[in-house]
Amino acid sequence: MSVIEFIEGPLWSFALAVFVLGIAWRIFSLLAMKRPRDLSVAREGAGGVGGATKALVIHSIPHGGNLGRTIYHFVTGYMFHIGLFVLVLFAAPHVAFIQERLIGADIGWPEMPRWAFIVAAEAAFAGLILLYVHRLTDPVKKQLTDIDDHLGVWLTFIVMLTGCLALQEAHAGLRAFHMLTVEALMIYFPFSRLMHAFTFAFARARTGATYGRRGFTP
Amino acid sequence: MTVEPGTITPDNRPVDVGAAVTKMEALLGGHIAAYLDACVHCGQCAQACHFHEATKDPRLTPALKLQPMTRVYRRSKAPFSGLRKALGLAPEVTEQDLRAWEPLIFDTCTMCARCTIVCPMAIDIASVVAATRQAFVAAGLGPPDLLEAAENARTRGSPLGLTEAKLADRVEWLADEHETEIPLDKPVAEVLLTVSSIEMMKYPDSVVAMAKLLNAGGVDWTLSSKGYEATNFGVLSGKADIAKLMVERIASAAESVGARIVVVPECGHAYGVLRWTGGNLLGRELPFEVMHITEFLAALKRQGKLRFTPYTDQAVTYHDPCQISRRGGATADARYLLDGFATDFREMTPTGNYNWCCGGGGGVQAMGRAADVRHEVFRIKMAQVEATGAPALVSACANCRLTMDESSAALGWDKELLSIVEMLADHIEGAPNPAE
Amino acid sequence: MTEDARMSTAGPTVARPPMRRLSRARRLRALVAVTVCAALSTLSLAVTMSEMAEAQQLPSPESLKGQSIAVPGGSVRPPAGAVNLPDTTSNAVRRPGQGEGASFPSAPSDTVLGHESVTEGLWDRIRHGQAGESVLTGGERGVLIQSAGEAWRLLRNDQVVRYGGQMLLAVIAAIALFFLVRGRIRIDNGRSGRVIPRFSLAQRIAHWFAAVLFVLLAISGLVILFGKSLLMPVLGPQGFALVASAAMQGHNLFGPLFLPAVLAILVLFIKGNAPRLVDLSWLAKGGGLFGGHASSYKYNAGQKIWFVLTIVLGLAISVSGIVLLFPDTLADRSQAQLANLAHGIAAVIFIAVGIGHAYIGSIGMEGAFEAMAQGTVDENWAREHHDLWYAEHSGEATTDRKRAEVSAAAAGDGIMQGARP
Repeated sequence: MSVIEFIEGPLWSFALAVFVLGIAWRIFSLLAMKRPRDLSVAREGAGGVGGATKALVIHSIPHGGNLGRTIYHFVTGYMFHIGLFVLVLFAAPHVAFIQERLIGADIGWPEMPRWAFIVAAEAAFAGLILLYVHRLTDPVKKQLTDIDDHLGVWLTFIVMLTGCLALQEAHAGLRAFHMLTVEALMIYFPFSRLMHAFTFAFARARTGATYGRRGFTP
Repeated sequence: MTVEPGTITPDNRPVDVGAAVTKMEALLGGHIAAYLDACVHCGQCAQACHFHEATKDPRLTPALKLQPMTRVYRRSKAPFSGLRKALGLAPEVTEQDLRAWEPLIFDTCTMCARCTIVCPMAIDIASVVAATRQAFVAAGLGPPDLLEAAENARTRGSPLGLTEAKLADRVEWLADEHETEIPLDKPVAEVLLTVSSIEMMKYPDSVVAMAKLLNAGGVDWTLSSKGYEATNFGVLSGKADIAKLMVERIASAAESVGARIVVVPECGHAYGVLRWTGGNLLGRELPFEVMHITEFLAALKRQGKLRFTPYTDQAVTYHDPCQISRRGGATADARYLLDGFATDFREMTPTGNYNWCCGGGGGVQAMGRAADVRHEVFRIKMAQVEATGAPALVSACANCRLTMDESSAALGWDKELLSIVEMLADHIEGAPNPAE
Repeated sequence: MTEDARMSTAGPTVARPPMRRLSRARRLRALVAVTVCAALSTLSLAVTMSEMAEAQQLPSPESLKGQSIAVPGGSVRPPAGAVNLPDTTSNAVRRPGQGEGASFPSAPSDTVLGHESVTEGLWDRIRHGQAGESVLTGGERGVLIQSAGEAWRLLRNDQVVRYGGQMLLAVIAAIALFFLVRGRIRIDNGRSGRVIPRFSLAQRIAHWFAAVLFVLLAISGLVILFGKSLLMPVLGPQGFALVASAAMQGHNLFGPLFLPAVLAILVLFIKGNAPRLVDLSWLAKGGGLFGGHASSYKYNAGQKIWFVLTIVLGLAISVSGIVLLFPDTLADRSQAQLANLAHGIAAVIFIAVGIGHAYIGSIGMEGAFEAMAQGTVDENWAREHHDLWYAEHSGEATTDRKRAEVSAAAAGDGIMQGARP
């Protein structure tokens, strides 16, 4: 078995298993922890479900007059996240991969035109670099930052970089190198703050449910 | 990473680190873990925190206040914590850490929840801070004056020493002085009124005002010497037993007079605690409805039982107590009361659920060592008020009022601070106007 | 006002210990080294510039007449089997675009054997610009072979690569030599322990955003420019094909981001970068590189030149690069060739000067890096390198590093605003 075959075969299966099982375990553990029952009486016409739903939505955008204060994160954060999602899900090579390797059938998964995912890549790179440079220089963020933050950014950056280096889709070696970095990211994912891709929903819903009953979802 | 020792010099009491860790482990349920798992260290919360914005001190970043719980979570309760521990990636909490964190957990958090609004993960840092305070107190930390106030509440009935005897004494004096009926220990009443000892000791006019309004509204009400203190320094200081005791006193008083409604006076945290966590502290659903005085007066106004003559003295703006508006959900009622009453009412920016804290909530008012930073924070409120051009600021919380009075005096600010209840009591339609 | 009173209004002044002077021998050695380095750099710069000038006037197809067969490298050869006979008639060469009934001669079946026929000299004629029918419309209609491409190829692969490479090596050698002789430029009076806010968060973010892109683009660009000569022999054709593909894709993807980065630098750093009289004396004193003191405000003459170069070269590279990403927007091939040469030459100069900038901003000078990291500088560093700026900001010097960093982040070397609702 060649190195490329190993990366694209067994190593991929292993990384996928760690990724899926790790995430499942994290979510299961969180849900299995005890949480106190709220014995207060909800305000008339207000409820936890509505609050949770509202929190899930409104925390995607700055609200409460805070747009000006958080505009840097808002713009760069969305550049990165939207760019990354578009790349991961709709770039032509990814679509082919998803259909062949993950689904096993051509289900007509939509694919972006090349120019669109190039634009997405530009946005994602600019967003990630700007966020990271801010992390290294902003006095508030510097204090919060730990090794996990650095590793997460670097791994994501390297994955994106190797992906863009393989854009010509002409060399199996470049594709395998990209796959290798993706696998490293997937194995690291469940153990890291990258889990926020899933945990964000639990935090938002928790706050929304608590405060929604009170009549205002912050 | 840890923060450096904060702005306030820690004292030299012995610290029981193990007790703090045990307490955090006990309190760390799924509700807190969901928050700790979600924080991405983006730091946007600092932009919303009055302590950070007033001082620009990066150490005063709300997300840093999650650190004690996060440390314990990652070491003993989080998934893969065993693996992390084995690899040496989960450091223990040390005494030095606790001392460094103490000012973050107590002196510079009013639990106002503004950070929750900007947090992309909606993390309710205030609730995590409240739980963390319990662990710090278990370890023997916490501002001595705050803890003393809590102990006063346990032993003397009130943080400011308003004992049963003193209550009776002052009620009699106030009723005489103001020729107002203030019922104490009526055997049966529909409504139980509670008071904040801050009002009773420092703003007694406010108590008289409530009595006048309830009487004018034809309410069947009483004060009770079994449970009169609305404030709950047990919650503010992280003493769960005192927190429960305070709620029990009110509940037993309400039950003994058969009250259907318990009215909380102009006090933010008293409302938040009793209305939203009272049942949880008691371990059962409260057998009565809890209403803030502004909610109750708004109901009377809606029912047409209370009418007011317009307030035309001056332009006013309204300061939202965090625990009543943002964390209480009773934002609208104060405005309903001011609507058509204050003829020149101006909202400040931001306002309502997004308003800035006065700087003294969450027990910070009771911490002498936090006075300087509190005054700095008040500059935000000053700027907000000055932007409206109104010469007077109205609020519905005696704790906010005391905080703002102190800061105004310290900074030499000339705006007038008013209580909404006192304003309304002076303008009851049909009652003689004291100004005339 | 008495003398004493005037002294006191000048504010608290820190007693200034005498400057440590470099030993005479050391200064001499530094002077020689720097002169040699400067000469080397200037020479390579001059050569490159002249090449650039030449590139502006690509030889016309006619001037290439008769050279085509003798070109070195020889990769543009007639296709196998093409007929190649000496150019007999000058009329055979028609300028592209003239198209006066010129049409591709139909090829009789016997041409491949080189017998005399109408295709005699066909390759040569086309090679020299004979027009014919092509699928292209617009500016390049009828052009069968754009011979200027050969000139471009030669300029790029021979001149730009050779002189560009020499220039980069010279600059690296010069810096290495300078480091060996002069060593790290120390803060003469040592660190004071007091810092002054210097660069805002916005400035530092723009700087590092541009820097990250600069490094990514420089590495991928150098692979594209020099890879064939330097990497191919090592990696072999297949290995190099992989690396070149990666470099090209990465370069194309990151490239467009450099334009906003340069514009951000322009906006955020233009204040304080206007030329002033003191810049002349700074230049005359060689910026104090060989000892001695050269006065400057916030930016010295060297930094101002670097700022101008960043903007001019950065814009030139960005515009030419973006044009090359969308060649269809160009009128014809020769514009793409010009753009490519301008891109490469500007890039080599930019990288060469950039290496110098990176050196002096990090290992080359004690106390410089923190200006772009924490946003603050040591008071003694400010006094020794930017005395006139220091004079304006000495009142902001503080031992509270955290506070200075916060102030710098919010307001650069200005005044931080207080609480705002």
